[in-house]
Amino acid sequence: MAEKSLDKFKYRTLRFLDVTGFTVFDPVVRLAFREEPNKQLKALFNYMLIPIVFALFCIFVWWQVAPNHKTKSGEVPTPDVVWNSAMINHTFSTREQTKERDFLLVGDARLAAIAEVEAMAAAGTAQLAKLEATLAQHAAGNIKQLADRIAPLQARLEIIEAQSGVINAEMKAAVNAAAAAIERGEGTAQPLLAALRAEDEAKDAGRAAESFIKAQIDDIRSDKYAPLNQARLDVNAVADKLQFLTKRIDFLTTSNRSIRVAAAEEQLAETQGKLAEATTAKAALSEAKRAIRNESLIERLEQQQYASAMTIYTQINRSLFTVFIGFIVAAMVAIPLGVLCGLSRIAMACLTPIISIFKPVSPVVYLLIFQIVVGAFFPDPDSHPLFLFLNSLPFLSTLAINPALIFSACTVAACAVWPALVNTALGVATIDKDHINVARVLRLGFKDRLFKIIIPSALPLVFAGLRISLGVGWMVLIAAEALSSSDGLGKFVWDEYQNGSSFSFANILYACFVVGIIGFLLDRMMIILQRLVSFDGGSTSL
Amino acid sequence: MIKRINRLLTAAALAASSLHAEQLDVEKDTLKFGFIKLTDCAPLVIAKEIGYFEEEGLQVEVIAQPNWKQLLDNVINGELDGAHMLSGQPIAATIGFGTEAHIITAYTMDLNGNAITVSNDIWAQMQCNDPTLDTDKPPHPITADSLKPIVDAAKDEGRRLPMGMVFPVSTHNYEIRYWLAAAGIHPGMYTSTDIKGFTGGDIELSTTPPPQMPSTLESGQNVAYCVGEPWNQQAVAKGIGVPVVTNYDIWKNNPEKVFGVTKKWADENPKTHIAVVKALIRAGKWLDATDEAGNFLNREQACRILSQKNYVGADYDVLKNSMTGYFYFQKSDKRAMPDFNVFFKYHATYPWYSDGIWFLTQMRRWGQITEPQTAEWYYETAKKVYKPEIYLAAAKLLLAEGHIDEADIPWETDGFKVPTSDFIDGITYDGKDPIGYLNSHTIGNKDAI
Repeated sequence: MAEKSLDKFKYRTLRFLDVTGFTVFDPVVRLAFREEPNKQLKALFNYMLIPIVFALFCIFVWWQVAPNHKTKSGEVPTPDVVWNSAMINHTFSTREQTKERDFLLVGDARLAAIAEVEAMAAAGTAQLAKLEATLAQHAAGNIKQLADRIAPLQARLEIIEAQSGVINAEMKAAVNAAAAAIERGEGTAQPLLAALRAEDEAKDAGRAAESFIKAQIDDIRSDKYAPLNQARLDVNAVADKLQFLTKRIDFLTTSNRSIRVAAAEEQLAETQGKLAEATTAKAALSEAKRAIRNESLIERLEQQQYASAMTIYTQINRSLFTVFIGFIVAAMVAIPLGVLCGLSRIAMACLTPIISIFKPVSPVVYLLIFQIVVGAFFPDPDSHPLFLFLNSLPFLSTLAINPALIFSACTVAACAVWPALVNTALGVATIDKDHINVARVLRLGFKDRLFKIIIPSALPLVFAGLRISLGVGWMVLIAAEALSSSDGLGKFVWDEYQNGSSFSFANILYACFVVGIIGFLLDRMMIILQRLVSFDGGSTSL
Repeated sequence: MIKRINRLLTAAALAASSLHAEQLDVEKDTLKFGFIKLTDCAPLVIAKEIGYFEEEGLQVEVIAQPNWKQLLDNVINGELDGAHMLSGQPIAATIGFGTEAHIITAYTMDLNGNAITVSNDIWAQMQCNDPTLDTDKPPHPITADSLKPIVDAAKDEGRRLPMGMVFPVSTHNYEIRYWLAAAGIHPGMYTSTDIKGFTGGDIELSTTPPPQMPSTLESGQNVAYCVGEPWNQQAVAKGIGVPVVTNYDIWKNNPEKVFGVTKKWADENPKTHIAVVKALIRAGKWLDATDEAGNFLNREQACRILSQKNYVGADYDVLKNSMTGYFYFQKSDKRAMPDFNVFFKYHATYPWYSDGIWFLTQMRRWGQITEPQTAEWYYETAKKVYKPEIYLAAAKLLLAEGHIDEADIPWETDGFKVPTSDFIDGITYDGKDPIGYLNSHTIGNKDAI
């Protein structure tokens, strides 16, 4: 009995792996149940171990090759640098959260936090002083090593300059001699021309030799001195942290919401006191007005939220939200239209030219069109009821929905609609003739035929289309966000490119992985949906 | 013990905030301001990070914008409440060159802060043409005289050298044009049909967003560009170009960026506007605070803040170069430039009519304003855009609160700076005589008086 339920569990697990497309873990499960261990081990070796080794090999190659390619914006980052930049982004995000928490902290918790932060700040200051001393030391070291390396070149440069000075003087003398010869009526024009040409050549040669050395000196100057760089990074990291701690203190004291409310309340009490003592009508009126103003100020302060900066995680959320909005809109347009096209050849004929023309249009063009069109609907987005409503909802308010999000979503929809539309039409048009005949024999009405025969049998292809659509949408979205500077992963990448700091390149590569992994997960999700609606559990490629 | 200290701290905080004159009853307390990743967005960022906005009861988000056009569009369509703008932008928008909208400004964010960078190749050729440049520390200011033969040679080959500036109505455009024209290189005219400004030019000057400048220089898309920091120091740091002249040398203490909002927004939120200007004035003062020896007190901290990725995001060490009073012209050529970035000194933050009129004269000089205009028109237009009354209202409150000194603000001015000839070509500019100024140049439009 127990064995039977165990078997059931095993097959359920295998079925789950099959549906999700993670068949690569199949042997692991079978091995756990001791099913043909040899065969499973072999499969594990072939389909798991070898790919893992290959992946490691790729990382190794990356590690080796990257530092050899030097660009003007710095070296190509190695995997550890990219990992480091992921960590930096994570720190940035937790710091934003901490600041927000500090802003809202009240009572004893706030006092405890102040003590903690102050202790940390003191430790940080001490550490910074030490690191700065090291930095100064390395800076001096750098100046010395530069001087040491440049000095011989400089000496050679001076020699060359002296030499070319001598040669130039000789050449000039030759030219003058030739010219003088003509004046005396002894020579012809030829020697003069030749002398002039020789002078030019010598000058060029001298200049070339000089610039060769100068280029070498420049190269030395732009060589990064590793210890100095490291010292700088260390100092910057600690200084950034101190900066953050100062800001925290600020948020825990003067800028803290409760403190500000308390200050306003005190002022209100003062005003009320003055109001009670007021003897003239004018004074009473002005104090009363002030009291009312203070009341509304308190009300506003109590509602105030921390204005947080966008972090990588909020940007991921926003991108995901945008892509789903666009995708759902695309699906809602594509499926009915696709069914219509599949059913009616006239509809197909009508839509074919539209599909053919608008399908290959670049997302960038759509973006610009929607930017102009959508903008016109929201002349004053801050007070537009739609945005006021959306931003009052609990989760959505963190995404800061604005017209930029709407037109990014529209761009996604405009590009994602076509694969779903075409596949749906194909799915409907290629339904097995037998199914149609059965429907005829049963004399099903249109509605029954549509929902019992046509759509169910077209579903696998519909979902295959939707899967492509989501993939396209995700790709398009990143480009759209980069171009329109609508918050999201695309903007993250673009901002990093614009920052041009020494971390930018690593951050871009990090974003590349984030985008890729999310794209992979979205695809997997669609595969599962697709497998669940296929009767035959039809195969799906990777 | 700690508790007692903290109670004291809190009490101090309370006392401090009740000492302030009461907060303005602002109409809107959550604001979004746009900026471009340049060091001169500093007043906005500092006012947020040091907490000056919060002291005015404002929660402000500052959001990076991809380029000047989109920044302006976002201010006009209400997506942003206000922004760090090029001085020319409010003026151009108000007179309808480019996107039309009535934009006003009550705060000048900074003076100077730009430079012209040429590619290594052009620099080598300039050194050939003028051997005095061929040293580690060539004498400054460098004029475009040594560039002229290169431009002419390229023109003989049927090529016009491509150069970059950041926006058609940007200070950078007028500065690089001024610098070129001062050496007799015609930068090209705008006409009613040529909105790119190439007509009759010896070179081709086109728009590139600031952060992309270094890469266009590297790829040869531009051979020279005029841009704000950190993009010149970035070129030095990466070894792809040589800054030859700063705009301080082209015109000493020239106005650079302003804080712009739409007229509509300002009318709807007058108190908020004053509160914002108050915070910005304090930020400017903080940025320019010096000790007795004249060393900047807060600039390093400012660089630290600006180097955060959600602000300018460039490396701290690159930002520090120009912000702390030094400028690298080459890796071997570091010079003291205490006035490279001016945020408060010299009454920098006041919205001068004469600054507005200078930009108008340049727009007319290069044909962006297609028709001749009267001196009266220049004055009226400047008055439409520059709003010293708002600035003075904010300054008065700050003075009462004890945050600024009497001498920090030009209380009695009529809005015109004293005529100056601090230009690279020595021509005198008097804001009260725009037509005469226009006619004193060789290259560019001239109007009958």
